Amino acid sequence: MINENDPSTLTTSGRLLNYNAAIKAGLETGITFTKLMDQLIKTTNPDELVAAATELADFKLDSDFVTFPHQYSNADYYLLFMSRMLELHDQGNQVMVQSRDQHEELIQQLTPLGDRGTFNFRVETSENGGVFYRERATGQSLFYLNLDRKMFRFNSHALTQLFIIDLHETVPVETVKTSVQILIDFARYLKEDYGYSVDFNILDAANSENYPVHSADLPAGVVDRLFVAAAKNDYMLTNGVNGNGARIALDKGVVVDIFNNQLEGQPEWVLTVHDDDQKTSWFDVLLNYPFIRDWYLENLTDLEIVSDPLIFG
Amino acid sequence: MENQEQQTSAANVLTQAIATKLDYLSTLQAAVQRGDDRQVYELLDRARYYQEIKQTRAKRSVNHLEELVDNIHPQISHYLSDRLIDYLGHIYPFFYYEEYTTGRFHIYFGNWWDRRLFGELDVVNVQFNFDQTEFDKLRRSFELEAHHQRLNTAKIEAISSESEKLQKLMDAQPVRDNEKTKLREQLKENSQKSGMPWESGKIKDERQGIIDQLTKLADEDEQALNAHKTIKANDDQILVLSKEDTILNYEKQSIREAFDDFEHFQARNQSLYADYLNSLVGKSSSEGGVNVDD
Repeated sequence: MINENDPSTLTTSGRLLNYNAAIKAGLETGITFTKLMDQLIKTTNPDELVAAATELADFKLDSDFVTFPHQYSNADYYLLFMSRMLELHDQGNQVMVQSRDQHEELIQQLTPLGDRGTFNFRVETSENGGVFYRERATGQSLFYLNLDRKMFRFNSHALTQLFIIDLHETVPVETVKTSVQILIDFARYLKEDYGYSVDFNILDAANSENYPVHSADLPAGVVDRLFVAAAKNDYMLTNGVNGNGARIALDKGVVVDIFNNQLEGQPEWVLTVHDDDQKTSWFDVLLNYPFIRDWYLENLTDLEIVSDPLIFG
Repeated sequence: MENQEQQTSAANVLTQAIATKLDYLSTLQAAVQRGDDRQVYELLDRARYYQEIKQTRAKRSVNHLEELVDNIHPQISHYLSDRLIDYLGHIYPFFYYEEYTTGRFHIYFGNWWDRRLFGELDVVNVQFNFDQTEFDKLRRSFELEAHHQRLNTAKIEAISSESEKLQKLMDAQPVRDNEKTKLREQLKENSQKSGMPWESGKIKDERQGIIDQLTKLADEDEQALNAHKTIKANDDQILVLSKEDTILNYEKQSIREAFDDFEHFQARNQSLYADYLNSLVGKSSSEGGVNVDD
């Protein structure tokens, strides 16, 4: 390995110095890592927390000369970050992070949901980067998080599959609501405190939220089915205010509209949910009204609310 | 001289005739300016007005003055519609009107999803011209109600039972496959039988019987093959029918809320002209009118 052009490799001492420097650098990396870990685990300053998480997210602990046999995966730092973020907002007890006995791996449970769901992050290997927050048993990725790009995207498909379908029979509606609220709060802190771009998707309770449905050119029969189902449940689907869709007034001032948002050109059918307090999302409607849930699920191929196609395409 | 007198007389007659027309038109104009819709209606059809409102024998209108304004009926209708629709809104709260061209109005029944276009409102004659098909459906569904049925109950049941049969046919595919295997074996056995000559008829009959059964099963297979498509089409058809039933049900509810029953609703439609014009008596130059002195 003697390189005639590199003087340091020519002498023994040169080589040793080189080796020593590499070890030092490796150890330095280790020290930096432990500092970041301290920061992630102990800091009470949210800015420092985000900074530590962002660095740890793609931290490479091993070098050619120094490797560490016991390591958590990068994805685990996200779990720590999430629970610390909640802790700094006095919601630390809403998630439980557990360390596995056999090896260095963390899993998380949402306290209200208990063992009905265990969660972790999965690192996205493409150059997009970021991580998916995933329920481990079903593999449903509920949201995507990218600290570098300050992006947060909820996934309507996974939220529906897990909470509206899989857990529907066995977990009470209120439990689902409080569990999902934890995820909403986490996203909200990132949005409000750090200016993250957050797509709350079907969890967005703002009146201004248009939920685009999968079939932008929605077949008329789909709305007809809601009309018939609503009548059987003593609700009336009326003509929409703007004449190009339908409206249904539910309880407590909650109004759902389904309409073509484009008066000209390519149709774009969307759903909206309005209520005075802006506390009700499409997800809440699905939880609260069995006939709407049935209708949504029976027509899911047409109606599924679109998630960010760049992430969940 | 005589000729001139005749001429003068003719001019007088014509002047008089024109004066009558002018008088008619200026009375109508004044009524419009005063906002006296009652008088406008009276002028538009005196015969009817006298018969239905004054309850006196109609003076035959010989001079056909009403015809003078025939070609401005759209404008008259447009003008009269304001107050009439306001009035109708109280009695028929479930009808919605759309002026699709000046003075002509579509009637929509209800405000529910895909409400029906139910006919036209004839403002000048104060009457509904219901779409006969739609109206018959409504009447029929009132009749059927006595039998606790909806208009499409029977149809939906028939289609549902067809779908059910097809589903069973699909579900029974393995049974049929088994059956076919057995029958084919029987057929093979049959063809190997070489009985006594007097038995040949029997063997032939047996063979035909097996073939018939196989044909029947093949037919059923084919039906089952298309069943999925048919069931889907049936579902679509049932949706259309259920939707119509739902709409008719809303219509019935609306009529019951406003009129108690269909008969009262119809009676009210019959007396609409008289009811409306009577309601206008003493309401001339009301807020809607433009006063000529203004």
